Amino acid sequence: MKVRFWGVRGSFAMCGKEFLRYGGNTSSVELVTEGGSRLLIDLGTGATEYAKSLMSSEFGQGLGRLPVLLTHTHLDHIQGLPFFTPFFIKGNQFRILGADPAGSSLKGTLQNQLAPHYSPLNGLENLAAGVSIETFLPGSELAIDEFEITTAAVPHGTMWTTGFRIKADDKVVTVLTDVEYPAPHRPTREAFALAAGADMLIHDAMHDDAAYAMARGWGHSPVSAGVHLAGAAGVGKLALFHHSPDATDAAIDRLVEAAQSRTAIPVMGAAEGAYHEV
Amino acid sequence: MDITFWGVRGSYPVPGRGTVRYGGQTSCVEVRTASGASVILDAGTGLRALGQKLARDSGATLGRHHILLSHVHWDHIQGLPFFEPMYITGNTVEVYALLTAADELQQVIGGITRHEFFPVPLEAVPAEINFHEVDPGLPMTIEDAQILPFALNHPFGSVGYRIDADGTSVAYVSDTAPFNQVLHKQHFLPGLETLTDEDRRVLGDMRAALVKSLHGCDTVIYDTHFLPEEYARFPHYGHSTPDQALDIVAGNDVRRLILYHHAPSHTDDQMDEIAARYKEQGAAVGVDVITACEGMVLSVGPRGTS
Repeated sequence: MKVRFWGVRGSFAMCGKEFLRYGGNTSSVELVTEGGSRLLIDLGTGATEYAKSLMSSEFGQGLGRLPVLLTHTHLDHIQGLPFFTPFFIKGNQFRILGADPAGSSLKGTLQNQLAPHYSPLNGLENLAAGVSIETFLPGSELAIDEFEITTAAVPHGTMWTTGFRIKADDKVVTVLTDVEYPAPHRPTREAFALAAGADMLIHDAMHDDAAYAMARGWGHSPVSAGVHLAGAAGVGKLALFHHSPDATDAAIDRLVEAAQSRTAIPVMGAAEGAYHEV
Repeated sequence: MDITFWGVRGSYPVPGRGTVRYGGQTSCVEVRTASGASVILDAGTGLRALGQKLARDSGATLGRHHILLSHVHWDHIQGLPFFEPMYITGNTVEVYALLTAADELQQVIGGITRHEFFPVPLEAVPAEINFHEVDPGLPMTIEDAQILPFALNHPFGSVGYRIDADGTSVAYVSDTAPFNQVLHKQHFLPGLETLTDEDRRVLGDMRAALVKSLHGCDTVIYDTHFLPEEYARFPHYGHSTPDQALDIVAGNDVRRLILYHHAPSHTDDQMDEIAARYKEQGAAVGVDVITACEGMVLSVGPRGTS
């Protein structure tokens, strides 16, 4: 299984030369199996770049199929949806899978994103491709093509998001983004279970530990939370993800270096661009 | 009067190597008069950096910020929840927009911070936020600036603004389609529809009111999202070309045209070509054409002096 980060930024897309190496696009991660099954996680602005790359494949002819998992519907995780070009090609088939936001529905929320005052698309029904919106209860298991997926609710400020443990090709990738535990060194039982023995843990690293003191309760992790969970859960590799919009390339370099100095597990700063073999 | 471009991109923010020079953030322009009064045009993603600067510069001084929205498509409002002065108690943010739906402005604009989309609801921010409905054709006064709103041709409605202050003027014309092929209303357009006689009359009136509003304006910022060959494929998207913008301002006593709301697909190298091509075309009809880039500051003196 390979992982490619198309968007690694949290909250807000950042442009300019200080953000070129790690990238400024908001959350979007692609997983590909050796057999060619693909899975996309989140539709931040990074998904628009992925969309461009898909257009030169069968998606350009309306013959593409792709499942998309959503961690949650905060704007930085869905803002690429109205600009995901293969959605405008008749014949393509997409499944968007996510949990219903508290007190609301996934479909209603995406419909509201495309409501006439906000978007000229005026609703999901105007996407030419087949796009089915499917919900699951966090905690359930999903089987999608070659991927076996365990889901769980994890705390995100006053709400929660969905964490994923994704198994394919005998490898496991765990995605825990937009998560804040009761304390950085006290991951929830569900988060621990998703991460246990994973080959790669992709973890929220929005704050450096000093900045976290000011941001406690906002729903994001300090770098140390991912480092701690990686060690406790015995993962193979830690990818720091959901970088702060204010973190320049140089600042992320320092975060990665500081994180690596505290663990023997290989640490990488998630960066747009290359495919990584898990 | 100083004009600062904080976001010049259309549709969605575009990070990466291809947008380093012209910028990738979406619509946001700040107009500051000689007295220090400031009017912000649109709240796209460029607003975040402007808000950081305003919060930094003001120190402990509380202020009143005026944000004029052209319309409420995401690329024109998604910076609002990231506007730092909103998170400072004692500040006031006045938001002006066209009411196009039956909903109140507060509901429509506040809707982008529903808990599904954003963790802090607009109603809960520490600053006071007031909403003002804009009426095309009805002038307004904001501090020492005279503001004239005018209707534009864009899905679900859009409004442009002319700002007169310091003996000079700037106009903001974004987003708009031209006025000959499509009349945007409040429904989805999969492609061009046949225009009725009534549609043609409405378009003619809208164009005439726009031309009149821009007459004698020093600097006009215009939605020139498309090149002509791109426009030909997407005439129903609600955006214009530089040629169509020149058609409106040439011969209308406008000194300078700013190309704005660049397509997300246009890289810096393409933007250089566009800038050179239209500099020349503008010169041929007596208009100084400048292509907006993020961070650009234009000082506009009284007519004839800058």
